[in-house]
Amino acid sequence: MGEVIVVTSGKGGVGKTTTSANIGTGLAAEGHKVVLVDTDIGLRNLDVVMGLENRIVYDLVDVTSGNCRLKQALIKDKRFSNLFLLPAAQTKDKTAVSPEQMKILAKELKEEFDYAIIDCPAGIEQGFRNAIAGADRAVVVCTPEVSAVRDADRIIGLLEASELRNPKLIINRLRPAMVKRGDMMDISDILDILAIELIGVVPEDESIVVSTNRGEPAVMDQGSKAGEAYRRITRRIKGEDVPLMNLEVPSGIMDRLKRLVGIR
Amino acid sequence: MTRTEHVALKGTREGLVLYLDPAADFRLLMNELDNLLKNSEQFLQGANVRCYAGKKEFSEDEQENLTAILRENHLELAGWLSTEEVYVPGKTQSYANEERDARLWEEGMSEGRCLFMERTLRSGKSVQFEGHVIVQGDVNPGAEIIATGNIVVLGSLRGVAHAGAMGNRKASVSAYHLAPTQLRIADLVTRAPDDETDGRGPEIARIKDDQLTVEAAGMNGWRGKAR
Repeated sequence: MGEVIVVTSGKGGVGKTTTSANIGTGLAAEGHKVVLVDTDIGLRNLDVVMGLENRIVYDLVDVTSGNCRLKQALIKDKRFSNLFLLPAAQTKDKTAVSPEQMKILAKELKEEFDYAIIDCPAGIEQGFRNAIAGADRAVVVCTPEVSAVRDADRIIGLLEASELRNPKLIINRLRPAMVKRGDMMDISDILDILAIELIGVVPEDESIVVSTNRGEPAVMDQGSKAGEAYRRITRRIKGEDVPLMNLEVPSGIMDRLKRLVGIR
Repeated sequence: MTRTEHVALKGTREGLVLYLDPAADFRLLMNELDNLLKNSEQFLQGANVRCYAGKKEFSEDEQENLTAILRENHLELAGWLSTEEVYVPGKTQSYANEERDARLWEEGMSEGRCLFMERTLRSGKSVQFEGHVIVQGDVNPGAEIIATGNIVVLGSLRGVAHAGAMGNRKASVSAYHLAPTQLRIADLVTRAPDDETDGRGPEIARIKDDQLTVEAAGMNGWRGKAR
């Protein structure tokens, strides 16, 4: 029996889809059978980020309304034969699916896959309720901005109200240099308010833009810092105990020592 | 103290006092009294009760009725109290129908109904309560508490808090870390200073001389260490 993990945030543009794609691809790279589900009906993106948009025939709404079988709608990934995508419909809206239908779908997916990663739309309306309906676990993505933290806080409250306890936090697009200058919220500021378990910090990384446009998740790029962060997050989702990536701009005695020796 | 809308039973040093709303209909009073007593603890049984209904005087029939209800619940009517006996001399009560509020005022908001929230209030959560609210957790930005009484937060108060929401200026807001988005007591509104510093320790906000003031909670020597 697999697990359904919803990736959510409340605020838009914080990197839910990128995170979903990377966690899904990361888990697949570790040999698990994974399905990515895009629930952002009407504004689908996950297929683009995965580079699979030209292979869509059937979508989520076709499956839930019985127009096709689940197997027909699943798109096999380019790189991994154990990774699949269930795309969202683009021509409908969020009301085309109900939470009950999502629960049934989640059950079906759990029998087939080790992990089902659900990419949640922004907002707290029906799209959100659909996305979390069948989920066993939740991952909340948040950027170091006051508005994103506020929305994440609301989302965590709603998740707890829906019996999705202990959601995990990913802080995305952190800029260590800005934090050091005091121009950006740091990790402890965010954890102070949200007070949930942190499973990863992803640094701002230009390679994400490139990989998103190319449809190749950064998690496969060994040279990408964000990719490394996602690889660690993937392993932490599997339950491994992995230390957080060191993002700190070194300072103090160590910094001066290193500079003296010439490492930096 | 136990009370319903128009009836209140209160223990004083001189014994039990039953407050009856002078403005309320007698039958309503008796109904409420009956329910109140039926739901009360057993330890009240056998006690003497003195009654107070402001300047209102009850007819003989009504008095008999009252005695009967009290007796049914094993209580004895021990007499009537005048306004002077109920309230501390020097504090005049001009309006009889304000007694219910008046009692709360007299007590300086030191007792009353309480709501305990055993968790953190996250953004979007709104708590409204007639009485005091105690939060055993944080109140995050975007969350709000509106209470007719006091608000106590055993954590960080970063959201909106409105104490004494029905106009009671004796209400207070206290928190382990007091940094609200906005703080309201009765009809006064203020917001946290922009140069917010962490680690000031527990603080209490209340109205003094028509001004909302914040001061350190009296925890001599413990402040700072507790953090």
